[in-house]
Amino acid sequence: MSAPATRFDALSEWSDRHFKWLLVAPAVLLILALSVYPLLFSVWVLFVNYDFTVPGHGFVGLRNFTRVLADPVARWSLWVTILLSTINVTIEFLLGLALALAMVKSFRGRGLIMSLLIIPLFISPVIVGQAWALLLQRPFGPTNYVLSQILGFEVTIGWLTQAPWNFIALVLADVWQWTPFMFVILLAGLTAIPPNLYEAAELDGVDGWRAFWWITLPQLGPMIMLAITFRILDAVRLFDTIFVMTGGGPGTNTYSSSFYLYTLGFTQFHLSEATAGAWMFLVITAILITFLVRRLLKAEPT
Amino acid sequence: MNDREKRDFQAGLNAEIDAWLKGENTRRSFIKKFGLMTGLLATSGGILSPWAENALAQAAVDLADPASPLGKAQAAAMKASTEGPADGSAYRAAQAAKQFTGATLNMTYEAGLQALDPRNFSGPVWEQLTGIKSNVVELSNPDQYSKAVAEHIAGSGAYDVLDISPAWTPSLADGGVIAPLDDYIAKYMNQADLDDVHPLYKALPTYKGKIWGFFDDGDMFALYYRKDIFEDAKLKEAYQAKFSKALEPPKTWEDYAQVAQFITDNLAPNVYGAGHFRKAGSPGNQFDFLQQYRANGGILFSDDMKAGLNSDAGMKTLTNMLAANAASIPGNNELDAVSLWAAFLQGKVAMIYSWPPTGRMAANYSQSAKAINFIPQSSIAGKVGYAVVPGNPEHATGYNKALSADSKNAEAAYLFMQWVTSPPVSLARVMLPYALRDPYRLSHFKSDLYGELFPSAKEYLINLNNSANVGLLDIIMPGAQDYFLSLDRMCTSVWAGTDPKAALETAAAEWDQTTDRLGVDQQKAFYTEFKKLPGASADNTVEKLGLAVKL
Repeated sequence: MSAPATRFDALSEWSDRHFKWLLVAPAVLLILALSVYPLLFSVWVLFVNYDFTVPGHGFVGLRNFTRVLADPVARWSLWVTILLSTINVTIEFLLGLALALAMVKSFRGRGLIMSLLIIPLFISPVIVGQAWALLLQRPFGPTNYVLSQILGFEVTIGWLTQAPWNFIALVLADVWQWTPFMFVILLAGLTAIPPNLYEAAELDGVDGWRAFWWITLPQLGPMIMLAITFRILDAVRLFDTIFVMTGGGPGTNTYSSSFYLYTLGFTQFHLSEATAGAWMFLVITAILITFLVRRLLKAEPT
Repeated sequence: MNDREKRDFQAGLNAEIDAWLKGENTRRSFIKKFGLMTGLLATSGGILSPWAENALAQAAVDLADPASPLGKAQAAAMKASTEGPADGSAYRAAQAAKQFTGATLNMTYEAGLQALDPRNFSGPVWEQLTGIKSNVVELSNPDQYSKAVAEHIAGSGAYDVLDISPAWTPSLADGGVIAPLDDYIAKYMNQADLDDVHPLYKALPTYKGKIWGFFDDGDMFALYYRKDIFEDAKLKEAYQAKFSKALEPPKTWEDYAQVAQFITDNLAPNVYGAGHFRKAGSPGNQFDFLQQYRANGGILFSDDMKAGLNSDAGMKTLTNMLAANAASIPGNNELDAVSLWAAFLQGKVAMIYSWPPTGRMAANYSQSAKAINFIPQSSIAGKVGYAVVPGNPEHATGYNKALSADSKNAEAAYLFMQWVTSPPVSLARVMLPYALRDPYRLSHFKSDLYGELFPSAKEYLINLNNSANVGLLDIIMPGAQDYFLSLDRMCTSVWAGTDPKAALETAAAEWDQTTDRLGVDQQKAFYTEFKKLPGASADNTVEKLGLAVKL
């Protein structure tokens, strides 16, 4: 047998033996290139100067962290994130649950109403922000005019520029978009509750409220945890609607952590500080995620 | 192969044969299909790429009616590029560039309307003249800085021609992102064309004694007002009776707020006295504050580079701005530049100060282009007067064309820059209805063709020139983005009710932090360079330096 043929056989044999690894190699390489390398690179950036306005990448120790920690805007943005996430997810849960309870039994037009209800889920948050800004922005938005007609006196609310109205506007936009998410998950949970539990309760003379409290809520527990976990994970990233509707203003009044990090990195070009801030934010959210996921794994219908 | 490996191999082979007999997927069929798919993808590249190139290519050259002023300007630009005069910068650039036929220039432009000029006009015309293709890379304004720096760090050579804000020149020059043009200028340019640039703009690309680009966009703020309102006999009489002076376009900021309030008091809700783009993140706040602050005698930095914001001039400026806000259209603090234009064009506002496209839109000239259909038709055409902004107007941003230091086609890129900013070609570009490039050459301000674009175009040009004579420049030094951001935060927090004094203190502290971060000595050196520029302060305008251009 000739030498090339031997080499080919050896290669063929090697590829046969390592075939499974060859199959996963492209995906692994892609992940390494797009996730692991940037992650490791960001670790290096944490401890050096990486700033478009300051030349060089000298070692700076923990300075990137201390600057973010000392920045009152960073602390404020964290509070805004916590506040908006809590309010948004709470309202979305309550409304989503109410809608799910209303829709759990079949009625004429239910399919159409459900289809309409979930439309906001398919719209980009940027478009949602733009739409709400158009509705609320003075002098062209119709909101104040409609409110004036309803209330009988002139309404001059600065929905996007005055606290607390700017927060209310952001909550409105978020709740409008994400309540359907809660609704869909909770509805799935409600339909999975065995009807015989309600039948047994009815035989025992349990009224509707107590059935809800002692059957529906406990049975729905895991789905509630799942929906709230998913929404919180998403809500803490709040950026798009703030970017479009308030621009973080007035001042830094509506800066969320994401918006703060974006501004630090891509408006001011302090990339190493933005990276440090992002890592700190990641640690905080990781703690939250760990807590929620543990609760989720433990959650069982009782 | 040992026994175990032989057994594994045999088992694998049997499995393959079984699967093949059953028509199931086997490793072999997988590899075959994978190969087929890869082959298809590779083939599709050949099929798709001409289609993609065609889809992404610039549009064919879009020329105006030859009998129109724009059509004549475009014809003149072509003639100057092909027939000369032989010492003209356009001709020399176009002829010299023919040696680079077949090259492609990658050029950054701000996304949207700004990019229509190279896509529809200058890019295709340049290709016709020289055979050099252009690839327009559309970027957001901040990305025009950050991407240029990032590509330089990566050493990719991704860009040849960069559109940059003049404020970025020191950073990009010191960072090695852009290259000086002096040698090319000496070789190719008609030096007289440099003197054709208005003195306010002429020095903007110059840094540390070298020329780092060509100025290309006169973003001068000017006051646009409703002549019919200011000439209304009843209003004039009432104003005279109330304030013992004539109703006229204001010359001080106190007058501005007073006139705006008077008009609002008399004409609202049909018309309000003024409007401003005050939305957070909208650059109106920083530009407006800087122009009023410096007109009020405010100093940006003291000798030891401490921020001068927290001063009487700062308080006076914010107080005046608050008074103007109170006299303005409802929702004033939520407007961006486009919303403000819409309010003005619909006749809801009597006075605005903004960028030069305002005049072209108010005359309904811009709206002749489909690309500007998001702007409403003007209901005030023929009723708009032009005046210099009270005190000193801001030259709000502008653009320089700069040569990327990493360009692989540096000479061809330079020649494009020289050609596109040459007097005849740049005139045709600033006359494009959809363009956001604004007049900046003396030959633009004096152009008869531009003066024919709309009935009051000559007055408009004269006012832009006069505004440049007393105009102020944005801060040109590293950290400008940080300084501007602090001003925007300060202003919007004051509009929302924060005490002006406290807001000034916060902004001044942020400015000091920025200066410390960048190095006090370094910033002082940059600031010293900046102060030498005409228009750096109200005491150092083109007019005060005796360089004013009279038309």
